[in-house]
Amino acid sequence: MPRNETSGFRPHDVTMPQLGMAQDAGKIVSWLKAPGDAVSKGDALFEVETDKAVMEVEAPVDGFLTGVKYGEGDDVPVGHLIARISDTAEADAPDEDGDGDDAAPDEPDTGSTAANDALPEGHSVTMPQLGMAQDSGLLVNWLKAPGDKVAADDILFEVETDKSTMEVTAGRDGYLAATLAEAGEEVPVGDPVAIISAGEPEAPVARSVKDAAPPAPPVAVEDTAGEAAAEASRPSATPAPTGTDGRVLASPKVRRLALQDGLDLGLLVKAGHPQPFHVADLDTLRDLAATREAPAAQASAAGASRRLTATCATDGTRQFCAWAAERHGLTDAMAVLAGLAAASLGAGDGVTVAVEHVDASRTYAVPPGRGLSAVAESDEGPALILRDLRGTRLSGVDMGAEDAPVLTITDDGAGLSITLECAVAQLDAPGAIRLLTEFAGRMEQPLRHLL
Amino acid sequence: MAKAATKKTKSNADDYLRMYRQMVRIRTFEDNANQLYLSAKMPGLTHMYSGEEAVAVGICEALTDDDRITSTHRGHGHCVAKGAEFKEMFCELLGKAEGYCRGKGGSMHIADQSHGNLGANAIVGGSMGIATGSALRAKLQGSDDVTVCFFGDGATAQGLWYEVMNMAALWKLPVIYACENNGYSEYTKTEEIAAGSIMARAEAFGIESHQVDGQDVLAVNELTQKLVARARKGEGPFFMELMTYRYHGHHVGDINREYYRSKDEEKDWKDNRDPIIRFRAYLVEQGIATEEEIEAMNAEIETDAAEAVAYAEKAPYPPANEVDMHVYAD
Amino acid sequence: MREITLSQAVNEALAEEMRRDETVFILGEDVAEAGTPFKVLSGLVEEFGTDRVIDTPISEPGFVGLAVGAAMTGARPVVDLMFGDFIYLVMDQLCNQAAKQHYMSGGKLQVPMVLRTNMGATRRSAAQHSQSLQALVAHIPGLKVAMPSSAYEAKGLMKTAIRDNNPVVIFEDKLMYQDKAPVPEEEYLIPFGEANVKREGRDITLIATSSMVQVAEKAAVMLAKEGIEAEVIDPRTIVPLDEETLLESVKKTSRAIVIDEGHQSYGVTAEIASRLNEKVFYHLDAPVLRMGAMDVPVPFSPALEDLTVPTPEGVVENARKLCAGEMIHAA
Repeated sequence: MPRNETSGFRPHDVTMPQLGMAQDAGKIVSWLKAPGDAVSKGDALFEVETDKAVMEVEAPVDGFLTGVKYGEGDDVPVGHLIARISDTAEADAPDEDGDGDDAAPDEPDTGSTAANDALPEGHSVTMPQLGMAQDSGLLVNWLKAPGDKVAADDILFEVETDKSTMEVTAGRDGYLAATLAEAGEEVPVGDPVAIISAGEPEAPVARSVKDAAPPAPPVAVEDTAGEAAAEASRPSATPAPTGTDGRVLASPKVRRLALQDGLDLGLLVKAGHPQPFHVADLDTLRDLAATREAPAAQASAAGASRRLTATCATDGTRQFCAWAAERHGLTDAMAVLAGLAAASLGAGDGVTVAVEHVDASRTYAVPPGRGLSAVAESDEGPALILRDLRGTRLSGVDMGAEDAPVLTITDDGAGLSITLECAVAQLDAPGAIRLLTEFAGRMEQPLRHLL
Repeated sequence: MAKAATKKTKSNADDYLRMYRQMVRIRTFEDNANQLYLSAKMPGLTHMYSGEEAVAVGICEALTDDDRITSTHRGHGHCVAKGAEFKEMFCELLGKAEGYCRGKGGSMHIADQSHGNLGANAIVGGSMGIATGSALRAKLQGSDDVTVCFFGDGATAQGLWYEVMNMAALWKLPVIYACENNGYSEYTKTEEIAAGSIMARAEAFGIESHQVDGQDVLAVNELTQKLVARARKGEGPFFMELMTYRYHGHHVGDINREYYRSKDEEKDWKDNRDPIIRFRAYLVEQGIATEEEIEAMNAEIETDAAEAVAYAEKAPYPPANEVDMHVYAD
Repeated sequence: MREITLSQAVNEALAEEMRRDETVFILGEDVAEAGTPFKVLSGLVEEFGTDRVIDTPISEPGFVGLAVGAAMTGARPVVDLMFGDFIYLVMDQLCNQAAKQHYMSGGKLQVPMVLRTNMGATRRSAAQHSQSLQALVAHIPGLKVAMPSSAYEAKGLMKTAIRDNNPVVIFEDKLMYQDKAPVPEEEYLIPFGEANVKREGRDITLIATSSMVQVAEKAAVMLAKEGIEAEVIDPRTIVPLDEETLLESVKKTSRAIVIDEGHQSYGVTAEIASRLNEKVFYHLDAPVLRMGAMDVPVPFSPALEDLTVPTPEGVVENARKLCAGEMIHAA
């Protein structure tokens, strides 16, 4: 729209006035001014008739009558836009839809949405919530460029919080139509970082956070972890989601317990479990999380997985294992690692951990607590897999989710690189971050484990 | 009986001076309360007793502290006459913690149990049951105290009165119904709200009834003394209609009242039938007091009132933690 | 233990307290030789005479007013209001006079009186003799309200009420006068503000007053057969209310139905449900339900009247829905 930017003038709306208590429309009896006429404030523009009265509607300001939308004899609903008073005689007409929603006289006209107007249509990928008390994340770097064709599980960018780095996938096949932050910028949690369009964008956008206009682009918020199920557009990081498409109906108690246990009621929504949810549904929710292993493995191919990496400047475990063997007779280094991993999971109950070497694989039952001497071999299926690839040539892995969360240790110079991979259903985002942070800390300073 | 007997042994002069003093105390209290209200220092709503002093004093001077009264929304006069102190009364009117009701009752609920005042009542006629119940208690417990139920002519239109008179008469309760007929039921002439005779209504229950000049403190006192003595002997109940006049409007804010009564009428009562002026002239004429002694007494009362007002104005409000105190008794 | 009727229990309580304290007396319509239409007071006038069991004219505001005055000056009257419906007649004396004297006088005056009256429908007494109006008086600060659910409670609460220094309104269920319950021979009092857990359960709390305690207990038996363990709690006094016991129970069960025979709207059930909502919201796994009498004047025809009062079957149906997680009112 043309604007007289220097004067700050903007067209004044002339709408159908409310003249009576129970009146919802008025008839334009006659126009007293013609389009393009110069008018002064207080000039009668047209006459309106309701049940009993005829009144003149006056110009609210000086200017030119433009955009006349209704003629004589027309019935116009109260509040609807009839014409405008503009600063030039040639100003444009009111919106074609004429629904009056642009007729509110106090509507702020910021004129700053030009950048937003240019944003391509598509699904936005937002800054994920990685911790409970985190309100923004650092965009470390982009792995795709604007205009690139992307697959759902392609990594778009890396995000860093206090201690961990996380890779964020595209979540759907399409094109990277817009990048809305630059490497090195902090992005508030939940704010859009990228837009994935279905078709190839004509003009891909690359922007900084600083350029972003306050209003969010008109796109559906998509799961940051890249849900394959596009119809369930709920962020999975918060236990009691309030998606854009409505609330989850759940009792106050089940919400409280889900929050306490870090369970995501959104899983029940996705499973089509009937709402409202009650405490009794928590069992189903736990079962869902546990029995989603097979679907999770499939889903991991489609991108419903988490991959987090951490680094340790040093590897403290070799010295620690030697010390444990000498002082305490704990000669099984794999059992010690299993103990460290299990404790990092922070589960109150005992945990079964599989430790895999290149040449050996053992499963251990780790009882609750920090004692390492009670770690014993077990036949049960593991709740956690620890893949020790130190001493190999591998520097990192990207294997996707498996039946249980997998911690992979590789060498990184003098230190270590640790990767956590898991299905979304196996660990929620805070849980995954906690596990990796705890475990990396223990690997660097195993004595911490005993404190 | 014993108390009534001792009363008679006192010299009349002392009794008369005390009655005069009490009437002046009421008038002075009301003048100060009126000023407090008009100067916006007193919150709420208040009703002046000025003009009716001989009724409260004539009756209460015939009672002991063991005798009970129930009072009305126009109750400051009853409270003073029954022995209350200025300081606690003004504190109550201003909502202060040292008031008789710790500031929770105010003008319309002022009560002073230490002198047998069961309290003013803001429901017109609301205390008729309480007074009769107090008398029932006296009879059941073999106590010789008498209860006087003050109410106005307006309250005679309330049904409760007829219910309790019926029971009081049936059971011969020691209660005296004292109707202060000041001629107006709020903003309406009594003759417009009362059919027939008010006296006849009490008489219909077989209750001995008397009409007396409410501007003559001695007449009121003499009649009350007789009725109280008989009530103590189980000859009650009784009814007294006390013909009197209120100088102010229904409440302090009722200023323009010519639509229901004339200024001439008010002037006539004030100039010619004022109970204090009349009794003062009597005291001087009888040689019970000199003009100088009376002026000195008046001045002393003025000073007392001024000091009590000043005290009450400075007195603290009740602390916030008292707001939910006294909802239930322990 | 011996079993006596609720009527006998009230009679015993009054007789014991009148023997103990000579300031206690009874005042009301046909309380002496007639012993009231329900014969609750039969025999008292023979022991205590007409000076302490006093027949009044049919003047409810008048004799309630007398009780207020007598209480303010040193007696402990027990007023008999023949039907709870007559409370409307005595509202000024009860709510403006009795309830407020202690407060208005800054704590100087006390009104230690008992207004004993009744409640309860299904006696085919129609709209003006069947109401349960406890909510009206429970709304007024300064009044205490007791609602005995059996002979045992009727006796213990009455004795406590007579010794209380405040105006107390006791609502007896007129249909329970002939119901028997174990009542000890020896003296006992039931303190106000102490709820009674009549039955323990883990799945749902049924909070019920007076006549509705039986309804809740029957419902609990029926629910048990379906595997739903209901806890039944009788608050015994609704003012003061033993909030603690109610809250603890609902924390445990996560579900509650509040049942009272007063009209459901703006009633006792609403008050209790609201407190649960405010104080144990995050322990609720289902909305708290109110079950009161229908919001209609009590009809005469038995076919209609029986529809207006909560029944065990109705409680069972609601409890079943809550426990199954069904929506009670679709959004």
